[in-house]
Amino acid sequence: MALNTLEFECKCAAPAAAVTAPVHFGVVGSGDLEVLMTPAKAGGAVKVKVVTPVTGFDALWQRVLAAFVESAKLGDVAIEINDNNATPAVVTLRLRQALAEAAA
Amino acid sequence: MSKWSTLQDRSFLESNARERAIGIVDEGTFTEFAGPLDRRTSPHLETLGEAVEFDDGIVTGVGKIGKTPVFVISQEGRFIGGSVGEVGGAKMVATLKTAIALADRIAKEFPKAADDEKPVVAISFETGGVRLHEANAGLLAHAEVMDQFQRARGKVPVITLIGSKVGCFGGMGFVAAATDAIVMSEFGRLGLTGPEVIEQEMGKDEFDSADRALVYRTTGGRHKYVMGDCNFIVADTVGAFRAQVAELAKLPVSAFEAMRRIGSAALVEKQLKGVALAAEMQPKDARDVWKHAGNADPVALANVPLDAFKATVKRLAL
Repeated sequence: MALNTLEFECKCAAPAAAVTAPVHFGVVGSGDLEVLMTPAKAGGAVKVKVVTPVTGFDALWQRVLAAFVESAKLGDVAIEINDNNATPAVVTLRLRQALAEAAA
Repeated sequence: MSKWSTLQDRSFLESNARERAIGIVDEGTFTEFAGPLDRRTSPHLETLGEAVEFDDGIVTGVGKIGKTPVFVISQEGRFIGGSVGEVGGAKMVATLKTAIALADRIAKEFPKAADDEKPVVAISFETGGVRLHEANAGLLAHAEVMDQFQRARGKVPVITLIGSKVGCFGGMGFVAAATDAIVMSEFGRLGLTGPEVIEQEMGKDEFDSADRALVYRTTGGRHKYVMGDCNFIVADTVGAFRAQVAELAKLPVSAFEAMRRIGSAALVEKQLKGVALAAEMQPKDARDVWKHAGNADPVALANVPLDAFKATVKRLAL
């Protein structure tokens, strides 16, 4: 019954982009999520924490996040997600929007 | 997040809670209280296995309009219908308390402060009322917010802004009615029992919640303006709401007493006249009341542009 909390790390081959200040994006609407990215010393890795009512898709979350981290060449960042049944496409879109927000 | 300057022309209806909060005050002046970084999520939702949000669906903070400190409370309708639970309710109450404390301090330390240097509170409602998942805490929050309104009365004007998708319904409809001044756009909706709930309880013959024209002419901004349930009607932009708050911020706090709906024996008398009028008229539709108020062609009036509406509308006199 309780919320499903996933915590894992992703590491891309050549981490480059870093988030210099905390950034928040999104609203936890139905089928949507919010993202909080904060700078974190993690030896070039990205620390991920996902809080979601969804169970049974833990491996998919890891793949979606790993693909995002690889494509954005992200490192030394903590990503926290509060999810409310977002699809993988929405997850990727919101992560990119959050990163764009960090760059703005 | 859109930039402040682009937010001014943005539809208030389509802006999220944080955009409304940032856009309602001067550029770069907004400081958030208990924001996402504080990660104050609802413990009740977590226990129930329901999705949580870092700000619990309510953005609170303070900014400035000109010289006026503006304390802002902004509800997010997309997070569980903007429902008010324990954490969000506590944020509302704490923001009101902070505004009152500042007003007290200014009164004590700067007795000569001008009217536009004293704090106001602006609340952007987008809610269906109590969050049923944490109903007792949510109800208590409603009571505590009302309590703070009474403490704020005559010290800090509390201004309601309604123009978001969910509207302002349920217990928060009462809460909004207890504020000093209400600003709405024509897309804002205000009521106690929301359209879907009326239909569910009384049937489609009583109220068809899928009939958008019916919903808007019963709960929408134009009708509320005719009825005197809102004081001001503005265009659907963040900038238009901001301009109205800026106008109100210049007024002495005593000027707000005349804008209130409840809170004195005279106002109770006035409300009772409305009840008596309803019993006598037995209106079948909002249009009947518009006609009674002196608007010969309510259908045409409902369809003219907002400026023409404001210029020609007759408001119900009780």
